[in-house]
Amino acid sequence: MEEKNKKKVLVVDDDNNLRSVLVDKLNISGFDAVGAFNGEDGLERALNLHPDIILLDIIMPVMDGWEMLKKLREDKWGEKAKVIVLTVVEDTEAIARAVQDGSFAYFIKTDHGIDEIVVKVKEMLKGD
Amino acid sequence: MRKSILLKEHLSVSLVVLLILFSVAFLSFFLMKDFLMDPKKYFNTELSTAEIHFLIIHVLLIIASVLVSYVIYLLLSLRTRTELEVLGATRSLTASLEQFTKLYDEAPTPYIILSEKGEISELNKAALRFFGVVAGEIKGNNLFSYGSEEDSEKVEKLLQYYKANIPINNEEIRMIGKNNITRWVLLSVFEMDSSRDSARSGLATIFDITEQKQLDKAKTEFVSLASHQLRTPVAAVKWYMDMLLSGDAGELSPKQRDYIGRIHKVNEEMVDLIDTLLNVSRIEIGSIKIESKPTNVIDLTESILVELSSQIEEKKIIVDKQYGDNLKDIKSDPKLLRIVIQNLISNAVKYTPNEGAVTITFKDSPAEKAIIVSDTGVGIPKEEQNKVFTKLFRASNVRSLAGSQGTGLGLYLIKSIVEAMGGNIHFVSEEDKGSTFIIKL
Repeated sequence: MEEKNKKKVLVVDDDNNLRSVLVDKLNISGFDAVGAFNGEDGLERALNLHPDIILLDIIMPVMDGWEMLKKLREDKWGEKAKVIVLTVVEDTEAIARAVQDGSFAYFIKTDHGIDEIVVKVKEMLKGD
Repeated sequence: MRKSILLKEHLSVSLVVLLILFSVAFLSFFLMKDFLMDPKKYFNTELSTAEIHFLIIHVLLIIASVLVSYVIYLLLSLRTRTELEVLGATRSLTASLEQFTKLYDEAPTPYIILSEKGEISELNKAALRFFGVVAGEIKGNNLFSYGSEEDSEKVEKLLQYYKANIPINNEEIRMIGKNNITRWVLLSVFEMDSSRDSARSGLATIFDITEQKQLDKAKTEFVSLASHQLRTPVAAVKWYMDMLLSGDAGELSPKQRDYIGRIHKVNEEMVDLIDTLLNVSRIEIGSIKIESKPTNVIDLTESILVELSSQIEEKKIIVDKQYGDNLKDIKSDPKLLRIVIQNLISNAVKYTPNEGAVTITFKDSPAEKAIIVSDTGVGIPKEEQNKVFTKLFRASNVRSLAGSQGTGLGLYLIKSIVEAMGGNIHFVSEEDKGSTFIIKL
């Protein structure tokens, strides 16, 4: 894949390990991945970079994932941005909210291997 | 009631006495006719017949007057007694009214008397404290207008209920209390006896559960936070391990692959352990919510068997599925039921030696819905069977068993969940023969 054709992925997660393992894995898998360490940082980067897809953690300090998602949807570009919500807290209410907020997928980190997430990212970016 | 019975009793007694007396007099008169004719012969007296007659009549009159006075006395005493009773009753009524008023007024629970339309007509001190007002400020206002914005739909519905004379029993709503602060309450409205007035009225009670709610919220939040904090590192370990295993950091030697495989497995056990611990704490703080929906227990069980397939295959355990066509569509909480069945089958597999059998039976009749998991495993020693469902219990015969790490939380968790869902669990077990666990839904 050409460098400039690489799809841009933004990983928003306050946990350093999770953020860097995702960024590493995605870079190895042929994406151009960058990390953001909380919702506020993530929102700023998302609006500047216009990534092809955002992997979004929920429980974060400063600004949590729901808040960032809400603000993102207020933006003209962000309204249609693709988002995968990644969380560790199993919560049917959260799933319902994720669907309502127009994010496109929902994963519980401990239930899914990292490869499954890469597969999902590829699937969602197919045809773009 | 008592009064009239008493009166009747006395009157009939006096009547009977009177009757007996007259009949005795009459009889004696009849019998004595003889000697009355010739009293001298019997009495040996100088008195004439007429004089004896007169004496007898005299005696009878005295007796009659004594009786009449007795009846009058009885009537009078009854009246006095009745009056005394009425007086006593009035006194105790006044006392109990005073007591009631005191209770009503000083009760810690807000009591509010409502008009037909739901307007506040009377309220006690606790109610005044709840709303932070004096009586004049609030009387005439509609109680239901104090419902909070967030619950407006529900409050409107409750008002309709009240107007339609449907009882409101412990409905959880938010109301605007003192200083315009929203408070969680349990609202009940009972109909008051309206036989005297034409207008209907209601008695509302408000039970403030705000603190309980806050405490529940804090507890639930703590479990969510613990859940988040504990799961995040295991997720990171899992994903790094995934990367190593898929060769993202270069090819691994067979030995390295083996070790990393083991760490991966231990990490998965860690995830299970965290889940179990969190579920136990959810059960204990009562924050587990039962969300019933149509559930297919066969599908659920099959997916659990897929998860456990590596252990089942490794131990060459035969799984006998006696599902029939049962439990395909029941109302239950699939998430909780999954925890229950998963724990039961995984226990059966864990404690059954190689080449043993695990039988899963479903029953579904109007009389009972049951899930039965039985195994040909090590069983539970008889003397320990009464402790099976206690927290952290592990049978003495499994502690040293190879490959059977356990937390001693599984059955405790199962029992708590099953009971929370309104079912029950019991078992039969014989050491070295096997165990059968029966869950009635």
